[in-house]
Amino acid sequence: MDTHPRKRPRILLHDPTLRDGHHAVGHQLDADQLRAYATAANAAKVPVVEVGHGNGLGASSLQIGRAALDDATMLTTVREALTSSRLGVFVAPGWGTSHDLVAAVHNGADIVRIAAHCTEADVTERHLDVARDLGAEAQGVLLMSHMTGPGELAEQCALMATFGAQAVGIMDSAGHYLPADVTERVHAVADAVDVPVIFHGHNNLGLAVANSLAAVDAGASVIDATARGFGAGAGNTQLEVLVAVLERHGIETGIGLREVLAAADIAADRLMKAPPSIDSTAVASGLAGVFSGFRRPVQQIARAEGVDPVDLFLALGERQAVAGQEDLIGDVARQLKAATR
Amino acid sequence: MAADEQRLRVAVLGAGLIGIDLADKIRRSAKLELALVAGRDRDSLGLRRAADMGHPTTDGGIHAVVEGGPFDAVFDATNADSHPEHWAALCPTGTTLIDLTPTGLGTVIVPGVNSHRMAAHRHLNLVSCGGQATIPVLHAIAQRCTPTYIEVVSTGASASAGRATRLNLDQYIATTSAAIRTFTATPDAKVMVNLSPARPAPPFRVAMTVLAEAIRTAPVRTSIATAAQAVRAYTPGYKVTSLAVTPGRISVAVEVTASGSRLPRHAGSVDIINAAAVLLAEQSAATSR
Repeated sequence: MDTHPRKRPRILLHDPTLRDGHHAVGHQLDADQLRAYATAANAAKVPVVEVGHGNGLGASSLQIGRAALDDATMLTTVREALTSSRLGVFVAPGWGTSHDLVAAVHNGADIVRIAAHCTEADVTERHLDVARDLGAEAQGVLLMSHMTGPGELAEQCALMATFGAQAVGIMDSAGHYLPADVTERVHAVADAVDVPVIFHGHNNLGLAVANSLAAVDAGASVIDATARGFGAGAGNTQLEVLVAVLERHGIETGIGLREVLAAADIAADRLMKAPPSIDSTAVASGLAGVFSGFRRPVQQIARAEGVDPVDLFLALGERQAVAGQEDLIGDVARQLKAATR
Repeated sequence: MAADEQRLRVAVLGAGLIGIDLADKIRRSAKLELALVAGRDRDSLGLRRAADMGHPTTDGGIHAVVEGGPFDAVFDATNADSHPEHWAALCPTGTTLIDLTPTGLGTVIVPGVNSHRMAAHRHLNLVSCGGQATIPVLHAIAQRCTPTYIEVVSTGASASAGRATRLNLDQYIATTSAAIRTFTATPDAKVMVNLSPARPAPPFRVAMTVLAEAIRTAPVRTSIATAAQAVRAYTPGYKVTSLAVTPGRISVAVEVTASGSRLPRHAGSVDIINAAAVLLAEQSAATSR
């Protein structure tokens, strides 16, 4: 392992409030909401504003939830609001296709995140190619990254870099990590690649900001964070808190604290009924290592079937359900119900 | 000798996960004789395994298949990008080409649904593993109601998907959704694919949701059970694991575990498409002789 002190790069904050936050509201944000937050984030000089269905391009479905707006409307609405921030999109091959990707870049996406489950980086090869050919900045991210170890994450990230990813990294989709887990994984990835390393945290165990700080110290230079932490499960790393924490840590983000606080207040007023909280199901989800985005469907199905949502999350964890497998929730709930009769 | 003369001489093009299991299934068939397994890399694990199993192998790819022919049937287990070139090369040889890649170029065939159409065509396409797992059930449902929208979500184990499958996810989605629309006369169908890193590897699972008016529960349930029973005749590890019929909506999940072959249990996706391909070749043997 590299033991030399790393030269501390400027950290780029990537803001998926209008994408990950969709999980918290059943993918129902309207154009006025998107415009209001994008305008505020742009004014705060947030470098990248990501928008889309919670699971990205092409993911609006009965399985994951139908969005109020189609991909094109979301993108063109946010595009019009951004003058300095770049526009990001997220697509997981298998949920979205190259067709969706081409349309997104046509509609103004500057940065394209291609996502795969943590051991599946080779599904990103085709789509990273497409994104590069379109002239977008192409990044590769691994979902549900707690399901494998630092060595394999490093190999998978290195693979995405060889496919042409201009930044690579890991998502703590279940909010499962402790800071030491993040340190070890980000170190391994940073040692394996020459491109910027991305970290995306969730707050199920109350550690999203601490984990993001650990990622920065371990060599990550692109950190995802959302206003008020608006996002799946217990929410994401809270953007305005992270800006303040990084300022205290002596790290430049280029984002003004006043302006980002104003943007976060607009998010709180316009996007959500209540800010994300770490309720009992969120803790269970983080501990069990189940995708944070399952929170709403788990709560709905648990209520309908008369089972405890905490039990349901733990049972889904035993099945190692991954993001995209929402169809398992009902089956597992009915099995739990049958077992308790 | 007499028995062998009855057998169709076939070749497998592609020595990945699908090609090697095809070779194994063909070896067990009383109606087919495996004359060649063609890959492109002599040192690949697949070609070495095929050779270890005692099959004639070549690293000469499509050219070796053309030169070594004519074959009664060739299975294309390569990838969607290479398939059109393979058909162009094999079409003049008079062989029947059974395509397991998701190009959707040939006549789409699903056993038990439209295998009777096979005799008139020499370029057959098997859609995808997800298509083979869903179309028998969806077609059966569509005989009982008029779907307005169908959604299919398949989840395969990481270890059950080889490189070609991973590069061809877009084609897999396009071909599978087109076949579902055609076989069910449904205007809108959406297909999504997950590859799961879970360990131990989970079985191949496909969840289907059908939106339709005026669903009558009992006939729908009976039709689904009959369709599943028919699939089990050639894929014994196929089962309906959940079925819910509510007003306007039918939700069915099937799981496929591989059985009766060298495949690991989780590789149900490979098992069902390969079993369908071998069954079609056997049926074409029955009709052509």
